[in-house]
Amino acid sequence: MRPFKTTLARSIGLVALLVGAALLAGAVITYTTGVSDLGDSAAIEESLTGPPSSSPPVPASEPSMGTTTETEPSRQLWETNEKTSFADLAETSPIPVGLLISVIDVEAPIEPHGVDPRSGLMDVPDNVTDVAWYEHGSSPGEPGSAVLAAHVDLRDQGPGVFVDIGDLEPGDLVEVRFDDGSQQGFEVTATATYPKTELPLDAIFSRSGPAVLTLITCGGAFDPDASRYDSNVVVYATPTAPLTPPAGG
Amino acid sequence: MRKIMALAALMALAVFTAAPALAQTDEGQVIVVHGVPDLDVDVYVNGELTLEGFQFGDVAGPLSLPAGTYEIEIYGAGADPSADDPALTGSADLPAGATATIAAHLEEGGSPTLGVFVENNATIDAGNARVTARHLADFGDVDILANDSAVFSGVGNGQGGDADVPADTYNIKITAAGDVDTVAFDSDVALAEGVNTIAYAIGSVGGESFQVVTAALGDLGEAPQGVPTGTGGLSTDGLPWVTVLLAGLAVVAVAGGTLVVAKNER
Repeated sequence: MRPFKTTLARSIGLVALLVGAALLAGAVITYTTGVSDLGDSAAIEESLTGPPSSSPPVPASEPSMGTTTETEPSRQLWETNEKTSFADLAETSPIPVGLLISVIDVEAPIEPHGVDPRSGLMDVPDNVTDVAWYEHGSSPGEPGSAVLAAHVDLRDQGPGVFVDIGDLEPGDLVEVRFDDGSQQGFEVTATATYPKTELPLDAIFSRSGPAVLTLITCGGAFDPDASRYDSNVVVYATPTAPLTPPAGG
Repeated sequence: MRKIMALAALMALAVFTAAPALAQTDEGQVIVVHGVPDLDVDVYVNGELTLEGFQFGDVAGPLSLPAGTYEIEIYGAGADPSADDPALTGSADLPAGATATIAAHLEEGGSPTLGVFVENNATIDAGNARVTARHLADFGDVDILANDSAVFSGVGNGQGGDADVPADTYNIKITAAGDVDTVAFDSDVALAEGVNTIAYAIGSVGGESFQVVTAALGDLGEAPQGVPTGTGGLSTDGLPWVTVLLAGLAVVAVAGGTLVVAKNER
């Protein structure tokens, strides 16, 4: 008969072994989840259901030409374009000027940035305090993905304004202030880390589809020789409520 | 109104390679431009009324259509196509993936005509805009200047061109060729990124009906190639899983030790 003590010790050992193995497996799973499982941005995009946003740019109505060519219905009348001058085509999107994320103590100015013509990369601030809005893309709250990017850190300036965005959790509030004084709240829906080579650029910079606010910074492993991270940390948020009109306006 | 009835048919066949932006589909896109002053029309495509009461300066499209050949007939507004003769007729071959402008416009001298033009719908590098200029007006050759530098020189009626430039606001002037003092158009123009902004000069300078109308051929832009937002190495984003890994190894080691102890006690 095996002594009870020995049985207990062996049981504890087996349980501990299983726990250890689970932790190991968990570590691996956690890691792969952070990298590849969330790499499917299409799934994320589809799960995002923002409230109906302001009217998207309306393309001229398409004639219903039907895909079955044998019984082609009568062609509907085309409509003439409402916008037919350079002045009409000029865009009048609200410009985001300020970002507030209370839960991680972020209060920062937003500046419009485009593309660095030399690298083809998004142009970003040369400081750790400002947030860049991709000015060629959607404005926050409009259809498509509005991109706000900022540094996690800079070697000569220390931690950046977006150093903690990876800590954001679903439900956290992100607020954007616009140049006309209006504000728009957003609720975090998902956080993801992508290797830079797998960043879903077309989805992140999409100008159509549901309104989503996309916060981006760097993360993952750091290569000190190249002074760069191997990944991007991305936070997705959807509009919470209709735009708050300008105070007194 | 009827004075230009029954103009001879003008065959404008556009044959070219499908552009990459729409190459996956078997559809093309059409933009229709009305550049003949003082003539309200109905536009029939393959015998069906498609644009009703189309007026000088009107633009329709881009509209998607299955690739194929289209017969275009333009009648005075309200005309009976079974009894009346068309004012203008023509045909356009629309390949899959292509974008074409069909324009009723004036030739130099004032005669109406129907022109078909292929628009550049290739993708545009991130940060850039495309501008297309088409001279469809009763006027001589023109120069087109952006911020007072000539972009297109000596453009004749029916001709045009496109250029990709950084998205920005530009001062655009249209002048008589080689004559900067004869200005037909002068305006500040915002060129949107990822969009081919097509400008059609229509009407008659002498008849004081000259104007520039536009169409926007969008969704041609590309995303930036990345977001470089860190050079410091201070972020600990990569650490938690390493911590868990070490914790797991530690537990396994302890567990193994416990098993060894248990075995020795037998």
